[in-house]
Amino acid sequence: MRISTFILHIDSYLVRLGLASTLNRIQGVRVLKEFGANDSFTTFLENHPVDYIIIDQAGFDRSVDFFISKPELLELTILLKDPSKEDLNMGLPLRDVHATLYLTDEKETIIQTIRNLLHHRDDTYKKNSSENLSPRETTIVRLISMGLTNRQIAEKLFLSAHTVMTHRKNINSKLGIKSVSALTIYAIVNNIITIEEVSSLPQA
Amino acid sequence: MIYREWPMYRVVLENHQLLPLLPRFNLKMGFGELSVDEVCREHSVNTDFFLEIANAYLDELYVPGEGLSLFSLGTMVNYIKSTHKYYIDIALPMVEEKIKRLMNSSALSKKEISLVTTFFNDYKKDFMAHLSQEEDNILPYVLELERQSAQDAPDPEFIQKLQNYSIREFEKEHDRLETSLKHLYELIIKYLPPFENLQLCHQVLNDLAALMKDLVDHADVEDKVLIPRVADLETLLLSRASPV
Repeated sequence: MRISTFILHIDSYLVRLGLASTLNRIQGVRVLKEFGANDSFTTFLENHPVDYIIIDQAGFDRSVDFFISKPELLELTILLKDPSKEDLNMGLPLRDVHATLYLTDEKETIIQTIRNLLHHRDDTYKKNSSENLSPRETTIVRLISMGLTNRQIAEKLFLSAHTVMTHRKNINSKLGIKSVSALTIYAIVNNIITIEEVSSLPQA
Repeated sequence: MIYREWPMYRVVLENHQLLPLLPRFNLKMGFGELSVDEVCREHSVNTDFFLEIANAYLDELYVPGEGLSLFSLGTMVNYIKSTHKYYIDIALPMVEEKIKRLMNSSALSKKEISLVTTFFNDYKKDFMAHLSQEEDNILPYVLELERQSAQDAPDPEFIQKLQNYSIREFEKEHDRLETSLKHLYELIIKYLPPFENLQLCHQVLNDLAALMKDLVDHADVEDKVLIPRVADLETLLLSRASPV
């Protein structure tokens, strides 16, 4: 799982601290920095790309101009709302905010909300960079399972041995599998090769 | 969710998946009516720590929290080591022995048998390498971090190392040991010809499933309890060394 970074902009010290400690316990979350009522997070954002901004209503209202100038940031913004208070912000489309947390939320709700965000993000990430193998990588997994050496694979695919090595490294890190025998079983259960096609030689 | 006041026998009766946890804490059976707290005290186990671990095992959503500050990283490291010992001494040999017997008693082709046995031998090697990497590098680092944090003047060399390294690096490359076992399980139920010895076959699958679940939970303990605590301590030590 990749790490998602957060900054918090919350006036109340206690709420800020509590939320930061809750978030940091969630796998894949890192709170980079916390900002209070007198801090400005805008300069920080210029130099530090973050994945999410959690901001309370007061902070949001004070930063309306900033968000209007950078509407793309709304997609990263999670609003921390006090359900007993009315929305103050004038004219800014709150519906563009990515998600909402409530001051009255229980621990489980907070964790679930954040997990859902991360889960969604992870899915998008997987689709793009893909834990799935590329067609070329799949071919190489197939040939490895048939018992071919790197050099034989290179010759067969008209690649340099170096390129084959790079592919193998990528395959290993994508699948988290190191040994040829584990790769072979992966290939069988993912229908890349049949047991009949697998090399009968004991594999090193 | 289990609590300190509950009778230990009831905890184990209702949550049999906690059984493999007991030897890791050196908790012996014969609980009688003793509460969780009483059993832990009797065996010199930190009750809060036991509860954190047990609850993390029982509930996917449980995020260890309040009890965290009550025990040392040294306690955690000891627990992780005793879990490793459980894998090496009990869990892995147990399933390995059954797989061997299953292969010997089956009508599988030579190729199919070699597929499984070679896989398991390699898996064991990778498994051991994974544990050694933790025991030789990560766990000593955690202990050193805790030791340095307790010092009035932490070693500047260690601080410098800390500026370039975080436990989060380890989190990124923390391989999941259960993945390959899942593939093996799938191979048996989907692609190998059916086994005559069903009893043994089911035992192998049960052992594999239990080991997979245990590995997931163990990785969670490392990723959700150990790493956040170590990361907090890293931040604290760094901010102490270079006050803003």
